Amino acid sequence: MSSRKALFLVLAIALVLGSLPVTAQDDQINMTMWVRSIPFQTQALVDEWNANNDSQVELTVIPSGEFVTKMGAAIAAGEPPDIASIDLIYTPAFAAAGQLVDITEYVRALPYADDLTPAHMELGMYEGRNYAVPTGVDGSFIIYNIDLFEQAGLDPDNPPSTWDEMLEAARAINALGDDIYGYWFSMGCSGCNAFTFLPFIWASGGDVLSDDYSEATITSDPIVREALEFYNTIWEEGLVPEGASIDDGSNFVSAFAGGNIGMSGTGNFAIAGYTTDHPDLNFGVFHIPGKDGGAASFGGGDVIAIASGTEHVDEAWRFIEWTMSEEAQIEIYAANGQIPVRLELVDNKYFEGDERQKTAASALAVGHTPYTTVYNDLFNDPNGPWLEMLQVAILDGDIDGALELGQERFTQIMEG
Amino acid sequence: MAAPSLQADPNAASQQHIRRMRRRALLALRYVILIALALLFLFPILWSFINSIKLPAEALAVPPTYLPSEISLQNYEELTTYGKIGIAQHVYNSAIVALITVAGSIVLSTLGGYGFARFDFPLKNVLFILVLSTLMIPFQSILIPLFVMIVQVDLHDTLFGLALVYITFQLPFGIFLMRNSFLAVPHEIEESALLDGCSSLSILYRLMLRLVLPGIVTVAIYAFINSWNEFLAALIFMSDQDNFTLPVFLTTIRYGIWGDVNWGALQAGVIVTIIPSLGIFLALQRYYMDGLMGGAVKN
Amino acid sequence: MSSAILNLSWEQRRKLTGLLFVTPTVAFVMVFFIVPLIMTVYMSFHDWPLFGERAFTGLENYQELSNDRQYRKSLDFTFRYTVLVTPPIFILGFILASLVRRNIPYIGIFRTIFFLPVVIGLGVSSLLWVWMLDDRIGVFNKILLDFNLVPKAQLFLGRPNTAMNVVILSVVWKTVGFTMILLLAGLQAIPDELYESAEVDGAGYFRKLVYITLPLMRRFIALALILSVIGSVLSFDQFYIMTRGGPRNSTISIVYWIFNNSFTYFKMGYGAAMSIVLLGILVALTGAQLYVLREKE
Repeated sequence: MSSRKALFLVLAIALVLGSLPVTAQDDQINMTMWVRSIPFQTQALVDEWNANNDSQVELTVIPSGEFVTKMGAAIAAGEPPDIASIDLIYTPAFAAAGQLVDITEYVRALPYADDLTPAHMELGMYEGRNYAVPTGVDGSFIIYNIDLFEQAGLDPDNPPSTWDEMLEAARAINALGDDIYGYWFSMGCSGCNAFTFLPFIWASGGDVLSDDYSEATITSDPIVREALEFYNTIWEEGLVPEGASIDDGSNFVSAFAGGNIGMSGTGNFAIAGYTTDHPDLNFGVFHIPGKDGGAASFGGGDVIAIASGTEHVDEAWRFIEWTMSEEAQIEIYAANGQIPVRLELVDNKYFEGDERQKTAASALAVGHTPYTTVYNDLFNDPNGPWLEMLQVAILDGDIDGALELGQERFTQIMEG
Repeated sequence: MAAPSLQADPNAASQQHIRRMRRRALLALRYVILIALALLFLFPILWSFINSIKLPAEALAVPPTYLPSEISLQNYEELTTYGKIGIAQHVYNSAIVALITVAGSIVLSTLGGYGFARFDFPLKNVLFILVLSTLMIPFQSILIPLFVMIVQVDLHDTLFGLALVYITFQLPFGIFLMRNSFLAVPHEIEESALLDGCSSLSILYRLMLRLVLPGIVTVAIYAFINSWNEFLAALIFMSDQDNFTLPVFLTTIRYGIWGDVNWGALQAGVIVTIIPSLGIFLALQRYYMDGLMGGAVKN
Repeated sequence: MSSAILNLSWEQRRKLTGLLFVTPTVAFVMVFFIVPLIMTVYMSFHDWPLFGERAFTGLENYQELSNDRQYRKSLDFTFRYTVLVTPPIFILGFILASLVRRNIPYIGIFRTIFFLPVVIGLGVSSLLWVWMLDDRIGVFNKILLDFNLVPKAQLFLGRPNTAMNVVILSVVWKTVGFTMILLLAGLQAIPDELYESAEVDGAGYFRKLVYITLPLMRRFIALALILSVIGSVLSFDQFYIMTRGGPRNSTISIVYWIFNNSFTYFKMGYGAAMSIVLLGILVALTGAQLYVLREKE
């Protein structure tokens, strides 16, 4: 009999616990904010805000790879966060679906509206209305190890400015030893390669999408093939460690910190970590070059938006506006090595004398960001056509097959 | 093979001796193979445990070390604050979902099993076939509408909603098993109680439950282990990190923050996750095997 | 009302009571199985985004299946995976069952050990294996390098062929105990006398296997195979966690592709259409299972 009693006790406990109310009631405004797991300055912002305001922001970090899925599910369920810090490339998709609050009037009232980074403002617009403002600004560029350049007899003051020069530099550094490599890429990471490989194509005057973003130009634009051949050479000649072929982005930042990599595509978000965690690392940065010169950069980063359905639109905007204030931009962004979202503030006391920061910031001037509602499905999805095309072309050397596959799957998704 | 008296024949005696020796050697060989295989099967779990008690830095060492240079519970301590929420919340989530699933599966399977086993009513066969036919529908193929429905009734991202889905997955098996359990109880026991004027519910409660308790325990174990381990539905139905069950939480450690996968903490998490299901299985193994045989073979 | 119930005969009251007992269960099954099933069909005829406007599109989703390169690839992959993973599970399961068949001392411990991985979740076991298979911190490479079996660390999950093989290895470890128990039940159902009389006739191991063991275990073998095949067709966790569908999108199973389309690309109508195809495959397989099990009775 006692076992039966125990059974009912378990049932009773389960039912009681399952129905316990978990909401706490009070008048204070509590807002939830979602951010993807990338080391921007968001935590510092939220802490500073919560310490000085009645309203409180609760931060939830969502793994980057799951952000779209989780955000989509939360919206579908009618439980989106109040504020979302979104990878800027997703903004058109969420705005098009009517999931973000139209903040055009708020933006117009900002005295510095025209000074906000243009790529982010453009991505934050949908049909002429504003839905988001920049909160994390990043352009891609190449980081290089000055010590290795010197050891290989290269001139660190004159970093490569064409693909051939990059190849030569990589070969020279590779020859320094078994554990030393000329280059690094994370060929298992879709987003990393949109960020650092697409600009090679752009800087050479090519693109994978037509100017109006209506169709794929993978097979029609010869530059795409040449860029794939360029990276394929890097792989075939063993200028990157073998593990780079499957790296899912885990080592996108840390690989270069090992000190045995000559060059690597990267972004500003990584610079701060290198300077604080690896003070011995002697590095410089240069723009991502085109085949025969030129430069380009992927205007990346995050925008911040208010999700439809929140009850706290005004308070959420008050928070967002504060994140763009001079105080926050200088004392939290620049002080932590992050580029301010207002161009006029790039010249500030923290960046003074650091050429690397200035080069990184100037990458934004040549920054470009594709505007498409299917960006995630095309480029960022780990199972999307972008990464598959790169892997087939670069790692397997099947460039024709890769181009054909890329064109077909891009087209299918864009017509979708 | 009858053994005739062998004393008379020394040749036969030595033959039997050889045969016995051979049988012993074969038995020894069998044990050697068994032990080797057992070590191989246990290795992943043991290896995970060994790494979970290394110092966090040693757990990240390249190449790895075979044995810990120092035994430490730091990986477990780190788990308690991992991702700011800490593992306790996720253990709680998994436990609540499992408890509701167990409770719901028991109640629904017992009521349904009793009804189908002991009563005659219109459409009984049709309804029973309907219930059983759902064994053919894998939950993976109806996840999309389930998601839409759960969202519709505002149970998305709740432990209760996830548990409802899990109860559904358990039901066909549970009802089948409980119906068989009730069918195995002799009719006479119930009839005498009926003559005494007991109501059907009180017969079920006072009399039958004890007799079908093994079946209930089996249903409970399956409900627990399956809901505790389930991954795909939990991945889809939970969006807020606070509500993640253990398997989904573990994948967030696996993907970590860029360049920072805490492998030691992951192994500690793996150990924390597998201990309850291993413990329950080891303690109640007989019921688990009964269910496997009863559910899979005898139908 | 209550007097109406009291006026019912004993028979009628029994009927009503029985119906009441099964009502919650049947309602649950209706709401969570039958309604979703109908909804899947309904959704498959619609453009049904995760959020936003829905529109009736007729058979468009089904037509899209024929243009979807990755869908064909996923069907093909799932089929190949199933064909490759089933034999090792079955053969090793049979060997284990034969080894633990006789009730020699401590045999229960071995049976338990071989079965243990079955009660660990597939998601958790996949996390365990992806870590053991890592090229830098993984134990397999450590052992292979220490014994000079490989010249340098292997990227097991980095090439389509080896990725498939190591996933199969992990799944065999995780599921073979289940097959072992099924086959063990089959083995134990064969009377010892049959073997003994065969031995008298001078039958060796393989003759006994072919003429006694396998035919008498037919039903258990069929069941083990079908359950293993169904599990493989529905695989998701191991690929989502161990390979993320890579490399070159070569390990995206059907369920994985349904998941991606529905919850990452938000095309739930299209996902529903693929679910219908999956359901068709599975109903055929389960039909085969029921047929095999019915045969004997």
